[in-house]
Amino acid sequence: MSNPSGQPGVRRREFLKVLGVGSAAAATVGCGTDYVEKLIPYVHSPDQTVPGVSTYYATTCRECAAACGVLAEVRDGRVIKLEGNPDHPLSRGALCARGQAAVQGLYNPDRFRGPQIRADNALRAASWNDALTLFRQRLGEVRSRGQAGGVVFINQHESGSFATFLDSWLAGFGFPAHISYDAEAHLATMEANRASFGVAWPGLRFSAARLIVSFGADFLDNWGASVAQQLDFADARARLQGAPRFIYVGARRSLTGLNADEWVPCRPGTEHLVAQALSGAAPAASVAQQSGAPAEQLTRLAREIAAARPALFLAGGEGANALELAQTVNRMNQAAGAVGTTLLPNEPVTSFEGMGGYGDLVDVVRRMEAGQVSMLLVRGANPAFSHPGFAAAMAKVPFKVSFSSFPDETAMLSDVVLPDDHALERWGDAQPVRGTISLQQPAMDRIFDTRATADVLIEAAKGDPSTAARYAGTGDYRTWLFGRIPGGANAVAAALPKGVMTGTLPNAPTPRRAPARVTAPAGEGEYFLLTYWSPTLGDGRGANKPWLQELPDPVSKIVWQSWVEVHPLTAKALGVGNGDFLEVTASGHTVTLPVFQFLGVRPDTIAIPLGQGHTAYGRYAKDVGVNAMPLLPAATDAAGGMVMATRARIRATGDHQRLATTEGSARQHGRGIAQALNASGLGLAVAPGGEHADEVAPRSSGGIDVARGTQPQGADTPRDINAGGERAAEHGAGQAGAGGAEHGGEHAFPGDASHEFLPGLRSPVANDAQGDLGDPASKDAGMYDPNHWSGMARRRWAMTIDLARCTGCSACITACYAENNIPTVGAPHQGRALGPTTPSAGPWDTRPGANVVKGREMTWIRVERYYEGGEGNERSFNPDFETRFAPMLCQHCGNAPCEPVCPVYATYHSPDGLNVQVYNRCVGTRYCSNGCPYKVRYFNWFGFGEPNRRQYAFPEPLNWQLNPDVTVRGKGVMEKCTFCVQRIREAESRARLEGRPVQPDEFTVACAQACPSRAITFGDAADPNWSIARLAQDRRAYHVFEELNTYTAVVYLKKVNHPSPGATTAAPAATTGEAH
Amino acid sequence: MITKGKWAAVPGLVALAACAIVLSAYSGASSPEGRSPKQPIAFPHPRHVKTLGMNCLYCHFAANKSPDPGLPAVETCMGCHQAILTNSPEIKKLAGFFYKNQPVPWERIHKVPEYVRFPHMRHVNAGVTCQDCHGNVQDMTQVYQAKSLNMGWCVNCHVERKARYDCSTCHY
Repeated sequence: MSNPSGQPGVRRREFLKVLGVGSAAAATVGCGTDYVEKLIPYVHSPDQTVPGVSTYYATTCRECAAACGVLAEVRDGRVIKLEGNPDHPLSRGALCARGQAAVQGLYNPDRFRGPQIRADNALRAASWNDALTLFRQRLGEVRSRGQAGGVVFINQHESGSFATFLDSWLAGFGFPAHISYDAEAHLATMEANRASFGVAWPGLRFSAARLIVSFGADFLDNWGASVAQQLDFADARARLQGAPRFIYVGARRSLTGLNADEWVPCRPGTEHLVAQALSGAAPAASVAQQSGAPAEQLTRLAREIAAARPALFLAGGEGANALELAQTVNRMNQAAGAVGTTLLPNEPVTSFEGMGGYGDLVDVVRRMEAGQVSMLLVRGANPAFSHPGFAAAMAKVPFKVSFSSFPDETAMLSDVVLPDDHALERWGDAQPVRGTISLQQPAMDRIFDTRATADVLIEAAKGDPSTAARYAGTGDYRTWLFGRIPGGANAVAAALPKGVMTGTLPNAPTPRRAPARVTAPAGEGEYFLLTYWSPTLGDGRGANKPWLQELPDPVSKIVWQSWVEVHPLTAKALGVGNGDFLEVTASGHTVTLPVFQFLGVRPDTIAIPLGQGHTAYGRYAKDVGVNAMPLLPAATDAAGGMVMATRARIRATGDHQRLATTEGSARQHGRGIAQALNASGLGLAVAPGGEHADEVAPRSSGGIDVARGTQPQGADTPRDINAGGERAAEHGAGQAGAGGAEHGGEHAFPGDASHEFLPGLRSPVANDAQGDLGDPASKDAGMYDPNHWSGMARRRWAMTIDLARCTGCSACITACYAENNIPTVGAPHQGRALGPTTPSAGPWDTRPGANVVKGREMTWIRVERYYEGGEGNERSFNPDFETRFAPMLCQHCGNAPCEPVCPVYATYHSPDGLNVQVYNRCVGTRYCSNGCPYKVRYFNWFGFGEPNRRQYAFPEPLNWQLNPDVTVRGKGVMEKCTFCVQRIREAESRARLEGRPVQPDEFTVACAQACPSRAITFGDAADPNWSIARLAQDRRAYHVFEELNTYTAVVYLKKVNHPSPGATTAAPAATTGEAH
Repeated sequence: MITKGKWAAVPGLVALAACAIVLSAYSGASSPEGRSPKQPIAFPHPRHVKTLGMNCLYCHFAANKSPDPGLPAVETCMGCHQAILTNSPEIKKLAGFFYKNQPVPWERIHKVPEYVRFPHMRHVNAGVTCQDCHGNVQDMTQVYQAKSLNMGWCVNCHVERKARYDCSTCHY
């Protein structure tokens, strides 16, 4: 601006004008009511929909092969959330993080908008007409040249009719049958199961077992139908009385391994030897030498296993001898009487029937390299990423068709892309368990110009004179599908509301081709390298969904990065710490990764997760993390499964990068956040002479479980509640005498001690407001008066979290993201540098997870992972440590430290027990976060919810998923868990509308609804009819940081450990005591 | 020529302006009360409500069962206007939208900020009339915002009618 005299500067009058306009704008933004927008009505009103009210469509989840049931919540034509389908026999209403994130696949901003055709070495948008014409023309050419035998169709394995449809379509053209591929397939386990039991995946009944031994079978990660397994495992462990003890055998403690009571650390690929030793088929001493597992432990466990009936043995394994392992384990199951009790071949999980994997593509790659493949068609799968060597071989194929909806590595190498509908947009079916058909229906209209692959194939066939006749009578895939489901369209229509129906699909059993077996030399290097598919990203499929990238790995708590797990002992030897880069060389390839020190990996082993390091696949996946696949030896086990372990050389590079981790400390430092006790401490299993040997002992350094000394009053059993007060006092004294360094949570049970508590109700604030502490007549308590006409103060919303059930799977986190519009903050384009950067980078820090590194993470609920015991691991290997998972969210304190410090009253306690955060009052002082002892308040450092900002977390159409019931927060606002207040208000409104009170357990919060362990319960603790009122009075109940007088509304129930009966002083009573 | 002395008043003016902003926001001066944008079709509420005696819920069908009152689909309008007043220029506009399969882009008049939840059904079923918030729409040939819709205005009514006035009733 310049003034008339030509001099630079601002004239006073203009200055004020600018100020005036500025203030008007500020007021507009501040109030937001002047914003002009349109109201768009329907042209034709759809049936049965009420605007603003959700409709639920039952369908089938396709994020992994398990085929769980989901209910898609649809609001005004858009899917906004997925919930588990309670009627589904496999998933029983639960849903894992990957399933939750399916909506981010549906609304992924990087999806193909329509068909693509390669031109000038790049994919260009094309019309369906052009793309289909090209497709048909090439189909004709392949046949006219007599190359029909060279056509390869790779389909992502999914249970249901599509495989049958596809094979009949291929046969019509004279092409060979398709390959049903799943990179995560556990082929050895299935191969052995077929031989032993006649089914690929027998039903597993953890709840019927007294002992579970897993040989690298990560049944809580991605081995099998993890949701179903987790449900049953949690049920088993929560039984407390007679709950199964769980032993994990493997070189690395996965999430599953961390849930085990005991870890047998053996070298990768020696699991089958350990199995032999444990079943008594091999001498412990020699196995100990070969496997590296302690002989004493093997002997003790062999004794325990021989006595435990019924037991359940599970085989995973990643070595070249995985099939031998699975066969040994199945023999153990048969010998232990597991078949028919804990292992049910008659109630199999049928989702995995016909599944192929790595070995099925070995031959394809070989043929592609030899130029024998005339046309490659890929649907769903992404072998160019998940199968090393595939991408290079694709160059030799003259015509490649991708049906991918995403710009993944395979699609980017294809000549034509015919994008498939998302699973939530199309029809389908699945046979998850024997006798049940799970239906898949479109939950919404398609977003982009995509078409269901089955319909594309029908159209292509109709356009070809030789195949047209076959499909003349077929309208589309839906008609074809309904025609073959027992009962036809009428039965389907009747079953759709529930999503499941009884029946068996008339699918011919897929013959399993014997896959190629590839052996490789053992590899060289002083360390064993173990790789595993990420439990959250799977075979890399999840990498383009920001929720899953932002979901901390359940074990390492790292987001948006790859890492290499190194034992502290090894790290010390190498002179590296967390975040120092390590160069890992194997199979002639080298990758560089930051170190994550992990107690749960053998010192001679390093472990790397797979699923990251995409070179394509959209903005959230590309160039995030490192792909360690080239390090693998490209070998298979006898069943065709990928060998995921080899040997490697490592070298510290000297570089360092801070890990993008949400972990604060791996130790509780005596804070008693995640508390535990031993099973016998509940008075459920009393070992003679050791009545008090059970209370959870602070473990001494050295990691040996030091049993608590017996107390003088040997007569009072732990069941004697009346004596509890005294015992607690003595116990406290004993603890002080023992040094009391670790404080793992050894308080008296609330039921034992004299105090009864009701969460939040004892709040001095609430009590005072209710007139308990003062003269009720002296002041007006307003809405805090229980007799106030609103009745709000008669409720006390509260939550219990059962740590005996929680496995740390983190499904609750993603469910919370989905429900509460929580922005993801770690994407490469969202990072903001703290200080000056290079001129070209500007103020941006484009390293993935940059905001998280700077402590600017955002998550309303996190799962804290603490180790107990296992100290001194940097001096000597000590595998005897326990892991505790504790979901941590706003505790809705009755006496909240955050509330009095807020200068603008943006956070306060509502009459019904919620710690409320009012976004529009918040001015962002962050005092509340400073005051919060639980550190559960998160700040909007940038405009993650503002569409015009670079950090916007919901680029179109991801914003279609946003929950209309929850405010999207702007920059500078503090936010935190609301106890899903929108669900509370919605339930209240619904009850009011129907003229009734809110029913007990009528609704629940998002985390509790998703939880595949059923660890979280929500409700009104002041009303004895709600489940929570009973649970909050459990003998295992405690509040975190009770000593701070915060009077939290979240009640934790102590974890229950099951130590080895042989390891305690009361060894002879090992099995008899449990009879109770 | 500008002297330094004149500029000395600027900080004071800035402070004054800031006060004015705060006060204006507090007093509700920023409310678009009275706003009356021209609609793409001049829909006469008086004709439908007063002359024909149609209930509000005939078109705003979800107001008593959903947080969202609902807008009539174009086909609802055409249900009658396929036969009635087909020669009127406004109805021709309506038919134009309908036969092109396009929605009518109505101008939105009443809007509370994004951080406010206003469940219509709670109010309608509690005996709050449409006119309490929207004014006498039955008399408006062109609808305007009759009430301020500011928070103070909301809370006054909530207190008077003994409804909840806890923050988390509306803000979450």
